[in-house]
Amino acid sequence: MTIPLNVVLGLSAVLFSIGVFGFLARRNIILMLISIEIMLTAVNISLAGFSHYSGDARGQVLALFVIAIAAAEAGIGLGLLIALTRNKPGANVSDLTDLKG
Amino acid sequence: MNLANAIFYYMAAASIASALLAVTRKNPVHSMLWVLALFLHVAGVFLLLRAEFLAAVQVIVYAGAILIFYLFIVMLLDLSGEHARPRFGKQWPLAAAVGVIFIVLMMVSQVESGRQSEDTAVVQSEATQHGSVAWVGQQLFGPFALPFEIVSLVLLAAIIGAVVLARRRAVTT
Repeated sequence: MTIPLNVVLGLSAVLFSIGVFGFLARRNIILMLISIEIMLTAVNISLAGFSHYSGDARGQVLALFVIAIAAAEAGIGLGLLIALTRNKPGANVSDLTDLKG
Repeated sequence: MNLANAIFYYMAAASIASALLAVTRKNPVHSMLWVLALFLHVAGVFLLLRAEFLAAVQVIVYAGAILIFYLFIVMLLDLSGEHARPRFGKQWPLAAAVGVIFIVLMMVSQVESGRQSEDTAVVQSEATQHGSVAWVGQQLFGPFALPFEIVSLVLLAAIIGAVVLARRRAVTT
């Protein structure tokens, strides 16, 4: 494959921006969490690309750690979400205004 | 343009399209299915970058475990009122502006760095000699053995945390 590294990093940047947009714009907590997953995947593409183009396995090892942290984050985030919807049904951040001054 | 390049561009275009659809669909289940398509295409990108183990982990852990977990939560919660709500908050033009500015900044910085170093040739790596999976495994259980063990502690903390958070509290008034 003769793709330059810039194209791989460009793909990663575009996916990361879509994740940023989703996190900031969506009002559903589940969709916000899945936007974080999209951002983490974009970073993994960067790491795999650097690993490939520098001939160094450490990028792939870091990407594996990122996947492990993403799994931990999904478990904690969705546990929080279940605890939250027990008190306020609907999983929408627009309803969560208890701390508003 | 050879076949691998064509496949890479297809994977890239399909990833971007399914990510866009995932963050814009109204139905959360449809969003999850588009994210599934995104993760499978990203696994294809990993394969083209000769990260075979990462591609397998992407399919098994991300698409197989994490995403199914999200789908379970979507179906567990009652989101029937969600269709009547606007899918974006009032601040969505600002969020779109932040995303576009981020893309532009990344592209500018890459063009600048590309001007400084023109060579993007693939380094003849160890992976081509004895396989990427063995290579990653040697790194993981050699220099990265301590971080690997710490990740297991992080996952244990996440398991306990999720159980504690989602447990139904006994009513003690």
